[in-house]
Amino acid sequence: MEELDLLKKAWQKDTHSFEQVSEMEIYKMLHRKSSSIVKWILIISVLEVLLWTAISVLFNFDADLKKMIGEDLIVYFKVFNYFNYAVIIGFIFLFYKNYIKISTTASTKQLMKDILRTRKTVQYYVWYNLGMITVSMFLGFAMSYFYNPDMSVLKDRIAHESGYKTLIITCGFLLLATVLIVGIFWLFYRLLYGILLRKLNNNYKELKKIDL
Amino acid sequence: MSDSLEQIFVKQLKENQNIIHKICRLYTNNEDAHKDLFQEVTIQLWKAFPKFRGESKFSTWAYRVALNTAITLYRKSTRSISTVEFESRKHFISQEDYNHEEEEQIKLMYQAVQQLNDIEKALVFMYLEDKDYTEIAETLGITEVNARVKINRIKGKLKKILNP
Repeated sequence: MEELDLLKKAWQKDTHSFEQVSEMEIYKMLHRKSSSIVKWILIISVLEVLLWTAISVLFNFDADLKKMIGEDLIVYFKVFNYFNYAVIIGFIFLFYKNYIKISTTASTKQLMKDILRTRKTVQYYVWYNLGMITVSMFLGFAMSYFYNPDMSVLKDRIAHESGYKTLIITCGFLLLATVLIVGIFWLFYRLLYGILLRKLNNNYKELKKIDL
Repeated sequence: MSDSLEQIFVKQLKENQNIIHKICRLYTNNEDAHKDLFQEVTIQLWKAFPKFRGESKFSTWAYRVALNTAITLYRKSTRSISTVEFESRKHFISQEDYNHEEEEQIKLMYQAVQQLNDIEKALVFMYLEDKDYTEIAETLGITEVNARVKINRIKGKLKKILNP
């Protein structure tokens, strides 16, 4: 008999000798993808920080900033900047912790908890960033209004005008600019993290179904 | 409440898992690699499941996806098969009793199959599963004649490996 046919005989005999995989194990295999989503959240957040840092290094804003707000305030600006970096690095650490947790979880219950926590962390992160952008925009406007010599024309006009027309127009313009820029960032974050969070949420829903 | 797509999938896969284990057996030579391939196939099957319309049996569909997964996966990685181990095992066959000898021979044959390339393993799998040449040809996208020729070549190759 030919070798291959000999093997065929043996092959068809031992159908049941494989260690069987349970339904639970199959579910787990499918939901391993949670850990890859969380890994992407981590990677994207690191890339994002690198991008902002690269932009601020490449286009050195220091000179413009000095002109805008004056030497004295630069120190405060730097402190503010370092504080911001510290918080963001803290967030990245949390993302990392979430990733490690999710990729080592064995039980579905724990995995669900971890998914919820990751979602919360990402939400806080996005809110923090948007808040920071709003705050720094207002601070920037205020500082340049009071300290930038270029603004004296505007200041004079507001001071000498009988009505509030210029003031209202200025404020309206600033508000609009803030809303626009924050809106752009909000959209950016929605695209960047929103897709990942939605996938994570779908995973969560599926897990919930098994758990019931 | 009706079952979700995922629940249907998991049930079907559990019932038909042996066919995937068999493919893993041909493509891998240790338990860890077997489990890894099984998991990879599971993920690929799940990705493809929305397109599965039940025109064929789940098992038929599953083995085709599994073969494709195994072929693409093992094409990327360079296979390192220790021929040394293979040679040394050959020696003590003669000293064993008959039953053991047959078992040992099957083992040797699996090791010989391990030395085939990814496509050849797929052909062996379908041959062992008693698929007809029409199905083999269709699955691999080759002609029936070509499939026949390939199987004959594999038989020759295996003979050469086993009786050098």
